Amino acid sequence: MFDIFFVQQLVNGLSIGLIYALVAIGFTLIFGVLNVVNFAHGEIYMIGSFAGLMAITTFAPPLFVVILIALAAGALAGFGLERLAFRPFRRFRDEASLKSKAIREATLLSSLAVSIIVREIAEKIFGSNMQSIPQDYLLLKPIQIGSLSFADGQFLIFGLSIVMLGGLQWLLKRTRIGLSIRAVANNPMGAAYVGINTERTIIATFVIGSTLGAIAGLIVGLYQGAIFPAMGFVPGVKAFVAMVMGGLSSIGGAVVCALILGMAEAITTSFFAQGWGDLVAYLFLVITLIFFPTGLFGGGRERV
Amino acid sequence: MRRIISVSLLLAAVLIVVPGILTLVGGGYWFRVMTTIGVFSILTMSANLITGTTGLMSLGHAGFYGIGAYATALLSTKFGWPFYLTLPVSGAITAAFGILLALPTMRLIGIYFAVATLGLGEIIHVTLLNWVDFTRGPMGISAIPGVTLPGVFTASDTTHYYAVAITALIAAFVLGRLTHSYYGNALRAVREDDQCAASMGLNVVGLKIQSFAFACFFAGVAGGLWAHTTGYISPGDFRFSESILILAMMVVGGLGSLPGAVLGAVILLGLPEFLRPIGDYRMIVVGAVMFFSILFLPRGLLGETPVLTVVRRQFGLAWDAKSNLGWRQ
Repeated sequence: MFDIFFVQQLVNGLSIGLIYALVAIGFTLIFGVLNVVNFAHGEIYMIGSFAGLMAITTFAPPLFVVILIALAAGALAGFGLERLAFRPFRRFRDEASLKSKAIREATLLSSLAVSIIVREIAEKIFGSNMQSIPQDYLLLKPIQIGSLSFADGQFLIFGLSIVMLGGLQWLLKRTRIGLSIRAVANNPMGAAYVGINTERTIIATFVIGSTLGAIAGLIVGLYQGAIFPAMGFVPGVKAFVAMVMGGLSSIGGAVVCALILGMAEAITTSFFAQGWGDLVAYLFLVITLIFFPTGLFGGGRERV
Repeated sequence: MRRIISVSLLLAAVLIVVPGILTLVGGGYWFRVMTTIGVFSILTMSANLITGTTGLMSLGHAGFYGIGAYATALLSTKFGWPFYLTLPVSGAITAAFGILLALPTMRLIGIYFAVATLGLGEIIHVTLLNWVDFTRGPMGISAIPGVTLPGVFTASDTTHYYAVAITALIAAFVLGRLTHSYYGNALRAVREDDQCAASMGLNVVGLKIQSFAFACFFAGVAGGLWAHTTGYISPGDFRFSESILILAMMVVGGLGSLPGAVLGAVILLGLPEFLRPIGDYRMIVVGAVMFFSILFLPRGLLGETPVLTVVRRQFGLAWDAKSNLGWRQ
């Protein structure tokens, strides 16, 4: 059972799962603060990898600089997204309308519309095919440890996601902006009463979540060698599934579920054809919603 | 009397005026555009029953549309069934699938239901794509016979237009009767507040499942029409983006309104045809129209008439000097 091939698949699944986790954190942060679903998160992921790719093709900087550029692009995209698709619908500031069904569905649809527009514009500019990536930047150099073989991209994914997850914990628990994010997530009205600038906090949340997504997009693009305008849809949906499985506003839960999802997919593709791997995530989603409607790690929400 | 006039005007417009104009502007291609609009009108009207009237946002409607299309395609290519058998049967098959797949998700509300239907739609898409023995996978099914009745009429663009138009009229009639009745009011009560509706003695889960089944039936019929009129289907026709297109049509036309659903389909499929000279910006137009209609017309173009307006109109008659209703007389 535990032959080399199986362990290899588990390691591959773990690295994919970490990527899903990075994307899922962005979703979860935004859901926690605004109580709305951001359907354009997959497009932020795409923007991150395209920004990195453009930097690579124009002036070929070292990888560290490429990551910084993707980070900046993600922050900018997150800011723009919030202004465009979410801000116009926060007309009323009382708690009932901040958490109302109408505003939730309006922002869900508006972020969906923005994501369609962004993706289609990217397709108009770059074409819908996969972009060619310079060989030097592909993160596919094989590294042999014992009888297992890894790609150097996997180490980068491991290292970077652990750094970013740790950084996020530090940011949320130890800094002032993290404190205000947690306060707004808990109770927007109360946070406003004690003098927290909720608008700025919401923007900060979008910027933080989007940078994580953009960096995930860049690394996956370079690791899998596939950068194309529609690349954000599948990881976006999977990260969304991880968020729902983890209980919507639990960051730790989303990370754990993203790892489970990534490994389950890798195991499935080692037994069945590649195409069926996608089914796993959706089956997990439906099964979780049926048996654990509040998610595996969800707190006591009143109703789902 | 006014009702008879407006219905006959509608029938004349759909069955005589539109085909007449289409023939004048050159037929062929424009008939196919109108056929697509008709199929999507049926889809949007059926999705409207779930999303607009019962208030459950469905993001997986294209999956059920796909089930109907594949049922029709397989029945007519493998068994040679004619269209008047395949359409109702594939509708029934889709409704059965809809009930089966929706049963476990009916306890969910709001965003959870939307996510679960997204998952269901993608499960259907992945299955159609990968179950190669049964659905021929990404190659799709080709050479599906058109709508034809030997000795009476043969398959042509005009026949297909009439088949789709008549089905759309039937769907509009059935869904209109369904929503403009006490039954429809019960569905609206579920939309506004399901706990309150349950406390009033409505069987909320039963109503949700029934509306889902009706909507899936018509989605299946629309899928069958799509298979018959295009002659070729592949899993690519039934992706998430089609579900979004249907949702956008509903949002633009006005959630909960049947004429709005048709208008949304006409706008979102017709506009790109007129913009074709400046390039294929179909999905950008869809996204932009959807975004601006949420921003500026949150109720859609033909939003459902608010209950209060209806009440005022009905009870206002009592104070109207010209009417012979009420105590003024």
